[in-house]
Amino acid sequence: MKLGLAFAFLSATLLAGTASAADKRWDGADDLPVNPLACSAGEANAAPAAKPYDGGKPTNATDKASKPITLVDVPKLIGIGYFNATSKGMQEAAKALGNVTVKTDGPTEAKIDEQIKFIDNYITSGVDGILFAANDPVAIAPVLKKALSKGIHVVGYDANSTPDAREWFVNQAEFNGIAKAMIDSMAKEAGEDKSFAIVTSTFTTPNQARWIAEMWAYAQKCHPKLKWLETVEAQEDNNLSFNQATTLINKHGDKLAGLFGMTSVATPASAEAVTKAKLCGKVAVVGLATPNAMKPYVNADCVKSVVLWNPVDLGYAATYVMRAVVDGSLKPGATSVDAGKLGKLNVVNGSEILLGSPFIFTKQNIKDFDF
Amino acid sequence: MTTATLAGAEANPRRRLKVLASQEALLAIAVIGLAIAVGLYNPRFLAARNLSDVLLGNAYIAVAAVGMSMVIVSGNIDISVGALIGVLATISGTLAVNGAPIVVAWLAALVAGVLVMALQGVIIAYLRIPAIVVTLGMLSILKGGLISVTGGKWITDLPHSFHLADIELFGVLPFPVFLMIVVTILAALWMRYSASGRAIYAVGGNAEAARLCGISQPRTIVMVFALHGFFAGAAALLYATQLRVIQSTVPPNLELTIITASVVGGVSILGGVGTVIGSTLAAVLIAEIASALVFTDVSPYWIRAVQGVLILVTVIADILRRRRMAGA
Repeated sequence: MKLGLAFAFLSATLLAGTASAADKRWDGADDLPVNPLACSAGEANAAPAAKPYDGGKPTNATDKASKPITLVDVPKLIGIGYFNATSKGMQEAAKALGNVTVKTDGPTEAKIDEQIKFIDNYITSGVDGILFAANDPVAIAPVLKKALSKGIHVVGYDANSTPDAREWFVNQAEFNGIAKAMIDSMAKEAGEDKSFAIVTSTFTTPNQARWIAEMWAYAQKCHPKLKWLETVEAQEDNNLSFNQATTLINKHGDKLAGLFGMTSVATPASAEAVTKAKLCGKVAVVGLATPNAMKPYVNADCVKSVVLWNPVDLGYAATYVMRAVVDGSLKPGATSVDAGKLGKLNVVNGSEILLGSPFIFTKQNIKDFDF
Repeated sequence: MTTATLAGAEANPRRRLKVLASQEALLAIAVIGLAIAVGLYNPRFLAARNLSDVLLGNAYIAVAAVGMSMVIVSGNIDISVGALIGVLATISGTLAVNGAPIVVAWLAALVAGVLVMALQGVIIAYLRIPAIVVTLGMLSILKGGLISVTGGKWITDLPHSFHLADIELFGVLPFPVFLMIVVTILAALWMRYSASGRAIYAVGGNAEAARLCGISQPRTIVMVFALHGFFAGAAALLYATQLRVIQSTVPPNLELTIITASVVGGVSILGGVGTVIGSTLAAVLIAEIASALVFTDVSPYWIRAVQGVLILVTVIADILRRRRMAGA
């Protein structure tokens, strides 16, 4: 009897099945405004509405333009591959600049209270500038404001604070930039008129929903023949992601030419599902993921493009931005900043520096990264 | 002593078994009926490959639910099992990447599982602290401990031979499915026919009567938890060896899925009733529903709702059945 009920319930949901309108956004996308980038690299992008500078300002900072400065970098946590890589980039930048000393120090766990203590101690012991990747955008604000009030320069990277608690933030990737890299890779690997499905965390996870919305907008604009089949949820769960990807493969058969992994969990799990189904080369897997988890699949030629940003470049850029702030060459209202080997980086959203296009890990370069 | 136990437990269970058989039969019908219904909608669902994938990807839940069913039958509950499976997978994977013999890496998960669960059993049975409190504490310890020790770093580069779940017996039967079937049958026979297996029902059904029959309640509970730890270890091995990476975090909501399998399988949350055949069938049904929802284009939002409905319906039916039996 009880199962009869469950059946009735299930069949009701079946009847209610989804009928999607053509112009409806893909499942898992949010409803916020989208701003797709230009289709080819040469074209100019629609300029987003200019936003006035909304960062903070240190009070009575000593003028150290062109003089040696000492910086401390307090990432979310230390000892993991990702922040080892940002730290490496900072050392490279310090070496290239010649007049910067930077030291990385921080909690061994991604805990905001610990991170605040570290920053507080460095304010007391005295540094010229603080680089940070916040464990919590709001909770970190008071201690950063305290640093500004003591004349210490503050620049964030990777994870932002509220804008007025720091001067600049180096943004590793904008949503539309990631979206373009994902869709372009899929169109190239699967084919312009092929069908794909998406494995995401949940339909309401903010970052994933933003990426999917931008992917939808960019695909409509630049790859209109690419066909979206469906989006499935897989939380941030390895085995569930694998099961969902496998189900998509079994359901769509030959029609399925590509899978997008929207999380660093879903992407390797989708690659595993494709490997187990012996469909490497037939079903393209494109997604956001960290290099270590993807190495087996990239080295086995099952996955060609892993989209992310280069954390070494991120640390490098953050150090150049700090130097430019101290030197006075990056002031509120500026539209770009010189970042050494990375060239000129653009200012976006008032007080953010955009690192540039996302980085694509391939068989050639993936071995150089360990995170 | 043993004869007294068996005689004491016999009169009632004979009646109960009829009901239980129907519970399992219902689940079996549901598993087959759903497969046919979805197959009519989308024939690809019935492809051998898909059916095998559904079983393969979820066998670890059924294996863990075998232990969970024993715990619930004994009148207890364990909400630490999901976290424990995460920890055991990490222990096993860490040993494997650091060059320990593969068999040692596998055994470590089983041994550690037994130790952690037996410890909880001792605290529950001898210090008389409710299982929900003890296992909630353990859940926090394991969850926090795992993230502290690993820093959330994934285990990669696992040796090829580590992947137990990749083994196919006779070239067709995936090892996880084989293990699920064997574990279920052996555990069902043991619980049904052995004195110590029957003791679990006695302790969970009527602790006082069990004591009068000479069954040591604390010893039975420790034994149940130790066995549960063994099954959690086996589940962790299937879980850890399915993919090339181990996440080093606690799988979200895994304990809830496992408890759901037991409860929907007909294991009474009040203790004393239920079989592992029911819980394995329920684990298969839940996995099948998850896959069916994708195949029938139903929004995945429904999966949790459907699971919730299954739990509520089963528990309400169980309570009603008990009232009827008490009234009769």
